[in-house]
Amino acid sequence: MNYLDTKTPPVREARLGAGIAFGGTCCELRSCEKRGGCLNLASRSFSQTQGCQFTLSLAILNTLRNAVIIMHGPIGCGACATGVVGTSKIYKQIRDPKAEGLIWLNTNLDEADVIGGGEDKLKEAIRYADREFRPETILIPVSCVPALIGDDVDAVVAEVSAEAAATLIPVHCAGFKTKVMATAYDDVYHGILRGLVKKPERPSDKKIVPDDLNDLKQRYLERKTVNILNVSSMSRPDEDELERLLNAIGLNVRFLPCYSDADDFKFALESSLNVSICGTHDDYFVEHLQTLYGIPFIIDTIPIGRRNTAKWLLRIAEHFDLTREAEKFIAAEDKLLDEALEQFRPSLEGKTAFLAGGEVRIIATAEILQDLGIEVIGFKGHHYDRFAEPVFGALVNVDDVVFDVATQQPFEQVNLVRRLKPDLFVGHTGGNNISAKQGIPLLPLFGPSYNYMGYSGVFEVARRIRRIMSNYQFNKKLAEHRPLPYKASWYEKDPFTYIKKEG
Amino acid sequence: MRKFVDRPRYTCALGGALFTLRALERVIPIIHASAGCGFNLINATNAGAGYLGGGYCGGAAWSSTNVVEREVVFGGDDRLREQIRTTLEVMDGDLYVVVTGCMVDMIGDDVKAVASEFIEDDVPVLAIPTPSFKGNSYSGYDMILSGLFRGYVDRNAQSQPNTVNIIGLVPGQDVFYKGNLAEIKRLITKLGLRVNTFFGEGETLENLKNAAEASLNLVLSDVYGIQPAKDFEQIFSTPYLALPLPIGALQTKEFLLSVANALQINLDLVHRTIAEEEDRYYDYLERIADIYNDIDLQRYAVVVGDANYAPAVSRFLADELGYLPKLSVVTDFLNEAQQKAVAGRFDGYESGISPLVKFDVDTSSVKRYIGETWEPGRNERYYDSFSPAIIVGSVFERDLSAEFGMPLITLSYPTTNRIILNQTYAGYNGGLSLASDILTTLVAGR
Repeated sequence: MNYLDTKTPPVREARLGAGIAFGGTCCELRSCEKRGGCLNLASRSFSQTQGCQFTLSLAILNTLRNAVIIMHGPIGCGACATGVVGTSKIYKQIRDPKAEGLIWLNTNLDEADVIGGGEDKLKEAIRYADREFRPETILIPVSCVPALIGDDVDAVVAEVSAEAAATLIPVHCAGFKTKVMATAYDDVYHGILRGLVKKPERPSDKKIVPDDLNDLKQRYLERKTVNILNVSSMSRPDEDELERLLNAIGLNVRFLPCYSDADDFKFALESSLNVSICGTHDDYFVEHLQTLYGIPFIIDTIPIGRRNTAKWLLRIAEHFDLTREAEKFIAAEDKLLDEALEQFRPSLEGKTAFLAGGEVRIIATAEILQDLGIEVIGFKGHHYDRFAEPVFGALVNVDDVVFDVATQQPFEQVNLVRRLKPDLFVGHTGGNNISAKQGIPLLPLFGPSYNYMGYSGVFEVARRIRRIMSNYQFNKKLAEHRPLPYKASWYEKDPFTYIKKEG
Repeated sequence: MRKFVDRPRYTCALGGALFTLRALERVIPIIHASAGCGFNLINATNAGAGYLGGGYCGGAAWSSTNVVEREVVFGGDDRLREQIRTTLEVMDGDLYVVVTGCMVDMIGDDVKAVASEFIEDDVPVLAIPTPSFKGNSYSGYDMILSGLFRGYVDRNAQSQPNTVNIIGLVPGQDVFYKGNLAEIKRLITKLGLRVNTFFGEGETLENLKNAAEASLNLVLSDVYGIQPAKDFEQIFSTPYLALPLPIGALQTKEFLLSVANALQINLDLVHRTIAEEEDRYYDYLERIADIYNDIDLQRYAVVVGDANYAPAVSRFLADELGYLPKLSVVTDFLNEAQQKAVAGRFDGYESGISPLVKFDVDTSSVKRYIGETWEPGRNERYYDSFSPAIIVGSVFERDLSAEFGMPLITLSYPTTNRIILNQTYAGYNGGLSLASDILTTLVAGR
């Protein structure tokens, strides 16, 4: 894969045949995907707001250290950064206690710019950001309006780069270009690959007489080092757990891109394997690193749930010829976890659950629920493409379970939940007030301070589910007093009434 | 041409519009825009407004056409028509309002024409374009109010001499809008008036429908709501009166006297009301007479806020708490006339204090102005420092607060570090809560 000569990456509808509208069983969905792209063009005649690649690109951009973001667009674009202004700083400071909080500018394109172009304003904003904050990196996500009026952001960047101390990274993520908001990850990685990824310079590179011992040391280190591509929805405790798993079989670990600074992307090239947490996030990045720098990669499942974790770990171990070590470790972990989970089973066995959020993550999280004896009775995934398939392997008896492919679209979800009456809802942030008003206990699908991954993640999720289900009066009382905004007749209709075959 | 902004303290016109509609009972917005607009804006203002949430529609449930490249090239009218039809099928409301994002405004979709095709429907469908390259949240509030006054308010209503409308507090941007409206309504009701605030406790679309019964529009701002009030005057010949948002006993007394004067209310009643309220107010304030004086709780202060809050808070601090607000930064884009009107609110303090007033939209600027208002220390042996001080602003002032060691009290957008429910900073009750919240931060370690 190499798209780096183009200004923008291809959208995922085209590159992966990803779809955002489908209603049926898991079995139907999987065979549909295997036939290739049958979901591709579907959309809805009734839709609700769903997020775009601009807002989702901020999920990574907001985490980068020593960087200032310039939202190039009208004043509202990127306003959601407000919501993480406090937490972004706290999580950055876990990596570097001196890290600055989240700083961003908005170019505030107005009526005059819509006619005359926004390039001058962008230049002004870049100069201000460079002078005022002296960041290492200035990230420039480009929204719908400048994309439509034809601002040449790459040319502006080339021009201002000469005078700016910071490295300027444009991120082309105009919301109207794609229905699959996960294209955002490709946009961000495209910018990072073009602007930040390059071989680091080391003092030893400049030696006239080669230092063989040092080179050997370096190569040995690289041979034992893997990059794990973290995602902004995982936590530091998640990273600690994954690091523990790989340390246990003798590997060193580096995490990127989230909470990295510019140098981290250089040193990331000094490793022998890139490991994906989630194909939806990073196939574009690791494929390019393989093409350009010859670093192999693994994209398989996400290490949530013990089977997924074991599979993930074994794939890595196999690459380093450490399978025997990994198997021994996994057996020991399994035994410990079994003992630890015993106390939760009596109260959770036989309960039912519905999961909503990113497709890879919900399918993996379902494994934990099945492990605890909870019956999984429904899914709603943001979109669907081939990266979900390997995750299904850890589940049993889900062929007839309903799967709704929908980015947000809570109207379909409330209809399904009303029919299925799950005892527990596992949901992505953003629409959880809606499930709350259905009066059910709710476990957030992810949380930047909680552990979900690896073996410890299974235990943590188990103990949180028991806690949350032991008292959900808040949601119950809310449901008694505050109605949802749908007509009674909607609940009588098929939940997939508004899905149409073509765009 | 407006400049770039360093950490804007507002969203766009569409954002202001959506949160204005969110504040109305059973109104269903239909967003004609790119897929991310609504979701971005709910995530911004939910957190920024002290976790206001999406209300009845829940934010994530906002109906939205989610236009993509095809509509941008070929026009989005058909998609909008389909979306209005299906929204009427699925979502349960008493009024449906089409609002727009930049992309459809740029391609020139005729949303009003499409909405008018639904005129035969049982429930009204209005279209109010809210182009976000024309303004921010505050402009969006004005656009929606003007649009509703033109398109929804009953034109046959008869003006009643003792009825007033209150506007000028922007839902979401005024993080305390609902609590503030409740307090203002409580006080004006005591003067024997009937009050519509449209967004207040227990109010419904009926209050808006019958807005023309008012004989006066009270605008609690020198900036926000002025244009809708002018439009209202043009349509219904109802005059308006712009008064500043009152915080505390002094400002509220002036406010009540101005209202009484405009509506020729019996002055005995007004003075009785004021006396009664002041007695109650000082009964509470009296409690802190010891601690305030025992440990010297007077502070220098920096105030950062919008055109409503910055003047009101500064004056409350100076003239009631006996503080020394040396700098007040107004963070809105204001034209010259608006700046003049707002600057005038900082004049004539009873205490004689006169803050340096700056109009600046950039978050980083606040720090520079502190250097301008107070000579920085140069390591002198004896230096009269800007201390002890507090800063009253938004969470964007957190770094400044840490750097200067000034406790921060957040009350302007964005306030992500507080949960705001029914609190008020307006009127007498607002003065008490503001005094309590400020002094609480000072005794928190005791």
